[in-house]
Amino acid sequence: MLEPTFITWILVLFGLVLIFLPMLYVQLLMVLRPHSQKTKDILIGKGDDWRDKTHFRISYGAAWADLVIWLPLLVAGSIGVILGQAWGYGLWAASGTISVYINIILWFSEREYVYPACGPLVYYTIYWGFQVYWGLAVVAYAVLRLAGVTL
Amino acid sequence: MNILNKSIGHFPLGVWIAIVALLALFLGWGMQAYSLLDWDGAVDSGVQNERFTGDAAERAWAQESWGVAVADMLWPLPIGIVALIGLLRKRIFGFAAGLMEFSIGVYFPLVFAFQRWTTNPETVIVAIFLWMIPSLSGIIGLWANREYFEK
Repeated sequence: MLEPTFITWILVLFGLVLIFLPMLYVQLLMVLRPHSQKTKDILIGKGDDWRDKTHFRISYGAAWADLVIWLPLLVAGSIGVILGQAWGYGLWAASGTISVYINIILWFSEREYVYPACGPLVYYTIYWGFQVYWGLAVVAYAVLRLAGVTL
Repeated sequence: MNILNKSIGHFPLGVWIAIVALLALFLGWGMQAYSLLDWDGAVDSGVQNERFTGDAAERAWAQESWGVAVADMLWPLPIGIVALIGLLRKRIFGFAAGLMEFSIGVYFPLVFAFQRWTTNPETVIVAIFLWMIPSLSGIIGLWANREYFEK
């Protein structure tokens, strides 16, 4: 039994409130109404349009994969760690891994367009940063807990 | 106890399946490494689909694929190595890293499928059979043996 600690709860709440809920909202919008101006305002920028077909397709593919794989893993992992189960940490680490992975891809494929439009503060927090920081923190924390270190 | 828990040599069957699935993913990371070293050669041999010398749309696809290849070298490749070492040493970190690796192995082919089904259906099918199905099998194999690693 890996009892949740204060840090566990902070990571769980951060993940559910600042990652899961916003991503669920925008990815549902992306899947259900990909060409609506509201979706484009949130995902690309106020009044902006898809740059090209590639831009649209990667966003559409990521939206489906997030809804089918990443976000359910995030919730299942959060439940598992709250219950103090080792498998919960495994699932949580898996969701953190995906969070980091897709954002490394976006760093190389999107940053040159997104960063100038939203600026450093928004980019390194809400738009890109939170998912990387949370993903890395969850992976490191899960590995430490599974290795028997209580934090 | 099910068949996935049945010991065959050093490991239960489910762990053997996970090890084989990891090797299938390493084949993919090897193809990505080759692409970064010789992009045109990778296109000629069918490992990649687009060149940086094509029209604007083809260059955009190539840039996105290049970003994925770099991300694969930076994140899933090291995690896969940790997973393989951990599984061979029968350690819980191998179980966690294995779930992390396989979650990417399921996640990205799904992104790719929704992104490229209309343009490159044959590549999507290859990705599903070579990485997604083995990764799902690896997750099932590890999950069935989670108590084996918790001991």
